[in-house]
Amino acid sequence: MIVTRILISLASVFLALGLLAPTLTITPKAGDYTWLIKIFAPEQLDAITYSIVGVIQKLYQMEDLFLAVLLSIFSVVSPIIKLSLYWIATSSNLGKAQIESNLKKINFIGKFSMAEVFALALIIVVIKSFPGGSSAHLEWGAYIFTLSVIFSLVVALRLDSKQS
Amino acid sequence: MISPSDSNTPKLPAWLGALIPLLIILLVAGLFWFLIDKPDDSIDADTNPGISLSGKLKPGQTYYVFASEIEVFPSNLKNESWDRGKNAPDIRYQLLWKGNSIFESITKDDSLIADWSGLSVELNWKDILGKSVSPDDAIKAARIRYEKNERVEIVVEDVDISSDDDIGRYEIEMDSLSVGKNEIKLTKSSTNAIRKITLRLLPMGSNLKDLVNIMK
Repeated sequence: MIVTRILISLASVFLALGLLAPTLTITPKAGDYTWLIKIFAPEQLDAITYSIVGVIQKLYQMEDLFLAVLLSIFSVVSPIIKLSLYWIATSSNLGKAQIESNLKKINFIGKFSMAEVFALALIIVVIKSFPGGSSAHLEWGAYIFTLSVIFSLVVALRLDSKQS
Repeated sequence: MISPSDSNTPKLPAWLGALIPLLIILLVAGLFWFLIDKPDDSIDADTNPGISLSGKLKPGQTYYVFASEIEVFPSNLKNESWDRGKNAPDIRYQLLWKGNSIFESITKDDSLIADWSGLSVELNWKDILGKSVSPDDAIKAARIRYEKNERVEIVVEDVDISSDDDIGRYEIEMDSLSVGKNEIKLTKSSTNAIRKITLRLLPMGSNLKDLVNIMK
């Protein structure tokens, strides 16, 4: 269980970094008239870098509360709860029934978190902020977040194998 | 799930363990915030570090020069009302360097205070259909290379259908100018009806943000 707990700790570290680190940079362009926009409204063409938390903040500022709350739950709260349940599952205080109940909860929570929601968050911010002519590329935070997902999957596999 | 090594440690409620990942996340987030997430004070990639945007002019450097504002007295050189008392003058200015007219502004109708932007673009259908417009075309300013004791003359006129009337002309010593905004106040005389000239200078090769800040 020590190895599993180390993996959970690492997943937690990567999750924290993945949520706050730069994840996506968007560089707006205006085709042949890019230089013109640069002259009259240069701030419109500044490259903007978002973290996942930044995406949620942006949605909140855009008064899109529904999406802000949805993304908060699925990309922040849900992964944290999942890692917390993993930790409890590794506790020596639990009986077999409690462990099985815990794993059921984990499986349920896991359906809603991480990778898909992460992709959704990126797509939403691209579509909402800069339609047309802009380019977007992933930053190091995206890879750190992916590492968190991978470590979390490894923990789930280890717990499943222990259970069986 | 119970390992032999765990049985020696004090037993804590299992739910307390749920806080450990949360604490790790908060700790790392706090550290990240403290160490990395600081305001970006790096130099703008578009900034040209070799160009000064304040202070005196540098000999050998070429500058964009234009009048962002010209104010004229309420009466003309003959102390009469402008345009026979009907309207304020239609103001236009020219910049002369080394005896040559190097820039002429557009005319600002019926103004005692006329203002111009150093940047403007007139787009028409041809532009939309693919004609290219360069940034240089958008800069409405004279290009003057500064040397010691360099002078530039500004000639201000009241544009009329029949004939243009002089409002005044003034020779500016470039040694007295600095990069950015320069105000020159003048007194009324039989040869001058200009009250104030606001001249703006920007080194050529400045980045677009500086161009916008000083020229628009």
